[in-house]
Amino acid sequence: MAVATRGTSSNYLQRAPSPSGLADVLSVILDKGIVIDAFVRISVIGIELITIDARIVIASVDTYLRFAEAVNRLDLAESGGAGIQDLGSGDGAKRKAQGALEGAKEKLTPGGSKEREKSRS
Amino acid sequence: MSASSTEAPPTAATYAYGVVAADSIPTLERNGVADAPVRAVKSGELAALVSALPEQQFRIRRRDLLSHLSVLEDAFGAGTVIPCAFGMVLASDDAVVREFLDPRREELLGLLSRLDGYGQLNVRVSYDEQVVLEEIVRADPTIAQLREETRSRGEDAYDLKMRLGELVAAALAYAREQDGRMILERLVAQAADVAVDNPGDDVLKASFLVAREGSIAFDRELEDIAREQAPRLRIDVVGPLPPSAFATLERGAWES
Repeated sequence: MAVATRGTSSNYLQRAPSPSGLADVLSVILDKGIVIDAFVRISVIGIELITIDARIVIASVDTYLRFAEAVNRLDLAESGGAGIQDLGSGDGAKRKAQGALEGAKEKLTPGGSKEREKSRS
Repeated sequence: MSASSTEAPPTAATYAYGVVAADSIPTLERNGVADAPVRAVKSGELAALVSALPEQQFRIRRRDLLSHLSVLEDAFGAGTVIPCAFGMVLASDDAVVREFLDPRREELLGLLSRLDGYGQLNVRVSYDEQVVLEEIVRADPTIAQLREETRSRGEDAYDLKMRLGELVAAALAYAREQDGRMILERLVAQAADVAVDNPGDDVLKASFLVAREGSIAFDRELEDIAREQAPRLRIDVVGPLPPSAFATLERGAWES
């Protein structure tokens, strides 16, 4: 894990003169720079697909499960207050959580985030 | 592939890397795409850096992508260059002049003077997910409750897990948006220009146009942000690079 690198603030700012990975190279040269109308563009089959994939963030079932697991693994100093008993059990809990979820959705998606909405549905 | 069956001229085509001022053409020692030597095609005050592209060369290899960047980096190291996007091929050297340099002369001269003395810094800001997830659990009682519930119920809490995960994902997206905007504002204030990319799973991905000499204010801002936000954020800076994100002709095709 990244724990070992924690310490000085310089660990949180990394500099490199030149891109290292292929994805970083592509981000500099593939869709950046001059393009003119009348030219033959070499077809870069496959490569364009890679970058397009990287740009679409899909909130999927897998993502949700991953976040749930990640949150469950956190080693938090347990604070008092809200516990299992407050949430109730069975359908009551489901409804409560559902309501919270809808509320969060509204709060978190103000105008203009059409792209995210689209990728969810 | 059938690409080679198109009506390409029998002679080699010309691959273009970028444009420089005709009175300061760099000496480029490394070969370019398809391992061909790089040379200049001049027209008036402008020169395009080009190399021959053999007719049969249609498959792009990884090293061709790297060569394109290397040529631009070498030219940038020697002076000012307007980068072309990867893959720009014209029928001949003559076509480079007639279809590229001459019709775009004014725009290219304008870009040359605008980019003179500037370089591009690619900044990527990402979270230490562990730290930010902790923040999210602490800040949101609903998430904290769901976490307790799913932890104690184990494997049979699939529905609750899904809700927990969706709430966490939404909270994370919101945090990214807020932090991304804040950092962008601070860095833009120290840069000549910015081109913002879709950050994907990161907090911010953007290219900044900064003075090649004395970008001290920008560097200091980066360091301040990194220090203030440790350990939750990590900043990766690449550059200075040839300013490809700012080399756009009038239509600005790549603005997001």
